[in-house]
Amino acid sequence: MDQQIWGVFMNVLELKNISKRYGAIQALDSVSLAIAPGEVVGLMGDNGAGKSTLVKVIAGNFAPTSGDILISDKKVAFNKPLDAQKAGIEVVYQDLAICNNLSAASNVFLGREPTRRIGPIKVVDYAFMRSKSAELFARLKSETRPRDLVHKMSGGQRQAVAIARTLLSDAKIVLMDEPTAAISVRQVAEVLNLIRQLSDQGIAVVLISHRMPDVFEVADKVVVLRRGELVADKKASQSSPEEITGLITGAIEHA
Amino acid sequence: MQKKDIGLGILIIVVGAIVYMRNPLFLSPINLGNTANLIGLFGLFAIGQGFVIMTGGIDLSVGSVIALLGVLFVDMVGKFGVPWPLAVAIIIGLGVLIGLAHGILITRFRLQPFVVTLCGLLIYRGIARGYTAESTAGFPFGSSYPQLEWLTIGRSFGVPHSFVAMLIVAAVMWVVLHHTVFGRHLCAVGKNEEAARFSGINTRFVTVMAYVICAVLASIAAIYFAMFTKSVQPSSHGNFYELYAIAAAVLGGCSLRGGEGSVIGIVLGAVLLQELQNLVNLLGIPSSLNFAVMGAVILLGVLADQQFAAYRTRKNTERALGLLQKP
Ligand SMILES: Nc1ncnc2c1ncn2[C@@H]1O[C@H](COP(=O)(O)OP(=O)(O)OP(=O)(O)O)[C@@H](O)[C@H]1O
Ligand SMILES: [Mg+2]
Repeated sequence: MDQQIWGVFMNVLELKNISKRYGAIQALDSVSLAIAPGEVVGLMGDNGAGKSTLVKVIAGNFAPTSGDILISDKKVAFNKPLDAQKAGIEVVYQDLAICNNLSAASNVFLGREPTRRIGPIKVVDYAFMRSKSAELFARLKSETRPRDLVHKMSGGQRQAVAIARTLLSDAKIVLMDEPTAAISVRQVAEVLNLIRQLSDQGIAVVLISHRMPDVFEVADKVVVLRRGELVADKKASQSSPEEITGLITGAIEHA
Repeated sequence: MQKKDIGLGILIIVVGAIVYMRNPLFLSPINLGNTANLIGLFGLFAIGQGFVIMTGGIDLSVGSVIALLGVLFVDMVGKFGVPWPLAVAIIIGLGVLIGLAHGILITRFRLQPFVVTLCGLLIYRGIARGYTAESTAGFPFGSSYPQLEWLTIGRSFGVPHSFVAMLIVAAVMWVVLHHTVFGRHLCAVGKNEEAARFSGINTRFVTVMAYVICAVLASIAAIYFAMFTKSVQPSSHGNFYELYAIAAAVLGGCSLRGGEGSVIGIVLGAVLLQELQNLVNLLGIPSSLNFAVMGAVILLGVLADQQFAAYRTRKNTERALGLLQKP
């Protein structure tokens, strides 16, 4: 019995034979994948391999054509992104989910602002927003300051803001679609650190990236998509950048 | 208070000082009172326009709304003997409906704000002219409504009540914009609608509310204007007022790209516009040049602001680069 219960929570997310079609295009072809709590998964593949499609299916942007999604071993069906969010899935988009004209703290709390009452009206509790987001940034070991406007920040700090949002909601799994695509080397190191911090707190991370060194630096597991098919699902320590490159291009058929 | 607001405040004082030196009448109680009245009237609906502009939209129908609702208000109270508090409630209710219509057409049917409110401009003006058959709507001779008049065109200690009303509205809207969840969401929707949606914000609701606020403030302004002019000439009443409102909002730091703006800025924008009107009158500049002066000043103001912002960004980048190169 006990063992069964433990078994139940072994996987924070499980995909079973997920397929997605756009008309004639088979973007995902029977993809199965299991992710454990705190696991960092590097999701790799050529342009058009179906990585973003997979993320969007998991995040509830659209339903798969067929296949099942299980969260903590329970079957779920997401109709909209909010459903996925409630189930503990957060997505960090490169730039999308951040409003440049607001402060870091305002962005962390965007859509779930804390309020306090002054007489009959409810006003935004800026003090709480600032202290709480300062605490989150500290947990992420980021130097981002809550009051700073996002448009004055580096790419790495922006990522910290986006990731702090996920801490706020007690996410179980964070999906990151190319977080390191458009930022400098030093900022990449910052983002990789953030990913490690999330993992240390038991949050699983799916990292989509074209940058082999980044993936091998943080990932526990590397999975490769090729033309919608999952062709590899390996421990990073038992693979190599050369092998993964071969799998991505098709020089190596399967692993 | 933002840096932009302070800059605008200084500009207002400088222009005021110049006008005063050329014509001391500028600071006479009569002139100040009249100008304050106009600032109140125009500021009322400029604030609403600012909210719409902050969502990245625009409301071109404001002037026509002021004409149509002005005609209806005067007729209800003057011709049909509707008690004025009821008439006020009906006019504001119509404002809500107009704002809802704009907002729903823009969010549900995905029409562009410019197109929707341009059609509004034509439709409301057309209805006003058709309903009155082009004749001026006015209160019957000798009629008087002491409480209504006290509220709208009355003065306390020389301060026109239209100005007081504008200050109250500005204070309320300041709290709404800067201290409520709705205000946060308004800024987010205006800057990055997609990000706001992904954050779980009901972006449609926020946008619709901005148009409702704009139309409601226009309807309140319609009552004040109708009481101020005592009669409403359906084809000319409120003409170009939407442009005054847009000008005040832009002068006050609202970006037409959305996401930026402050209530204090908009009020100061309205003050500057009326000050410029005053300048034209007091300095003996032919009043036909009125619009030209206003246009030129707005252009210069926006240009200076933009150049200054670009300069600051350049300075910041240089400093950041300098820091990077040091170690
Ligand atoms: N909304 C859509 N409608 C139709 N086809 C789509 C749509 N989105 C993606 N596709 C197609 O599905 C396939 C997978 O696309 P996807 O965006 O998932 O690739 P990707 O691995 O993220 O690529 P990249 O590395 O370029 O981001 C591609 O052939 C793409 O053209
Ligand atoms: Mg992609």
